[in-house]
Amino acid sequence: MKQSQTAAALIPKEKKRDWKKLGRELVRDRWLYLLMLPGIIWFVVYRYLPMFGLYIAFNEFSFAKGIFGGEFVGLKYFKYIFFEHRNFWQLVSNTLLINLYKLIFYFPTPIVFALMLNEIRSVKFKRTLQTLIYLPHFVSWVVFGSIIITFLNPTEGIVNQIIQAFGGQPVFFMSNPDYFRPIVILSDIWKEAGYGTIIYLAAITGVDPSLYEAGRIDGASKWQTAFYITLPCISETIVVMLLLDIGRMMNVSFEQIYVLANPTVYETGDVISTYVYRLGLGQGRFSLTTSIGLFQSVVGFILLTTCNAISRKAFDKGLW
Amino acid sequence: MSKKNSRLIRDTYDAPVILSYISMTLFAILCVFPFYYIITVSISDPANVREGAMILWPKGFSLEAYRITFSHARFYSAFRISVFRTIIGTALGVSISSAMAYAVSRPYLHGHRFFTVFLVFTMLFNGGIIPTYLVVRYTGIIDTFWALILPNMLNTFNIIVLINFFQAVPAELEESAKIDGANDLVIFAKLMIPVAMPAIATITLFIAVYHWNALMDGILYINTPAKKPLQVYLNDIVLAGQTEDLFQDSSSKWLPTMSLKTATIVASTLPILVVYPFLQKYFVKGIMVGSVKG
Repeated sequence: MKQSQTAAALIPKEKKRDWKKLGRELVRDRWLYLLMLPGIIWFVVYRYLPMFGLYIAFNEFSFAKGIFGGEFVGLKYFKYIFFEHRNFWQLVSNTLLINLYKLIFYFPTPIVFALMLNEIRSVKFKRTLQTLIYLPHFVSWVVFGSIIITFLNPTEGIVNQIIQAFGGQPVFFMSNPDYFRPIVILSDIWKEAGYGTIIYLAAITGVDPSLYEAGRIDGASKWQTAFYITLPCISETIVVMLLLDIGRMMNVSFEQIYVLANPTVYETGDVISTYVYRLGLGQGRFSLTTSIGLFQSVVGFILLTTCNAISRKAFDKGLW
Repeated sequence: MSKKNSRLIRDTYDAPVILSYISMTLFAILCVFPFYYIITVSISDPANVREGAMILWPKGFSLEAYRITFSHARFYSAFRISVFRTIIGTALGVSISSAMAYAVSRPYLHGHRFFTVFLVFTMLFNGGIIPTYLVVRYTGIIDTFWALILPNMLNTFNIIVLINFFQAVPAELEESAKIDGANDLVIFAKLMIPVAMPAIATITLFIAVYHWNALMDGILYINTPAKKPLQVYLNDIVLAGQTEDLFQDSSSKWLPTMSLKTATIVASTLPILVVYPFLQKYFVKGIMVGSVKG
């Protein structure tokens, strides 16, 4: 009896002390909270408020009535985009196909390049090569895209001049839907594959040198060394990068598509973000395009969390 | 003798090695060629460019295209806006990111886990183009210079990189400064910033390059031509082919569009090309710091 009384008396006291301690610590760390304050405010305004703005996918938004003032229409826009919209599924498939082709053709390139750079013995020459192949990454898509379009110009472009020099007919590369996706993938390789080698080169430096020593003693050729020592050792990095790329399948670089595409290639090249921009801001269809954007965000969220969970479980590595 | 020789040859001229040298050299040439080509066209005599002849080395020499590009008022205003947004946007972005990253990285801070999740969640889910546009509009910065600074001022990935870096700093450093009576602001400014300089330099480079190259925010949030940044101007001139402005000056009527376009491209890429060799050593280090969290 006495014992329990003491315990009962102790508990509130203990709690009270905790609150005091918490208060003391909050005061103690006041400067730290001050340091993060501007950042927190920014994230609330420009990252979290837009999430509440997604509400307009469920009502009839107009600037006159404001975000929460429009008539509530429930899933009307979702029914419309899923079952009636003329090219919604085409936008989704364009987005996914461009990313699928990027996974097949772009993804292995930096790995192969990193393995090749690893074979180059002269440190100076290797560094020069790295400097040159990282360069396009630092140039904007407008500049890089306009260079590509200039090269592929039917009359003045260097590619068509070469084709004509060999007696061929000029090809209208930028206005043929069949060429659009290859152009997107190739320009991506051209611009980003060099820069993409950095992560794999870092992984290669981490390979245990004694493995190479053992391989050399066993008389392994360069091919065998690359395939049976280097590649397995960096396979973890490769799989993690692959999973993260799959997690981002719903997103395509807006700027790349915006710069390279034109109305003649929309059937293969128009993606969700460019369409949302054109129809939403161009024609003021805010509620409709927000529902498309919400669909993209939700599918992207599911993909990314799933892939990250797999990556965490298998390799204890991930985006977070 | 002959045995030693043959081994030497096998080591040096293995097929994979030769293949690597050749392919990487070709790819490096391919990466530089576009820049060489546009510079060559832009300084060639416009008369030769007009003929549509293949230009692999400068044909004649003329800076006429540059004279017209630089005398264009909109090029100047666009260039100035891009310079300002890069300076102001980078200064704000870097200081607010590092301050926030340092505070969130302290493991003893109440809410440490909450703030980490608060940050990471924004990488997974976002409001999307239209709701963000509405926030920009409702915060009253649409069609102003600040629409180029604020909506993308911070980047979650950069902040995570900085958090990882600050967490790797030995705790004793902070503790000893606290024993000496320094408060958190002093510790952050005098102790942590110098220690984290490699990471901060990398982030600075990333943010500066982002601001110089950004196209999307200018397209989404800016309507007034005089307020458009350089990349949007470039997009209007080179891709949308709105070259009438450039040809208003009667003396430029005879210039081929190719000369003008390439001159504009070169003039807007030059700042990047000039600083690139100096900054190169930073970003490689920086990417190692925190691209994938272990």
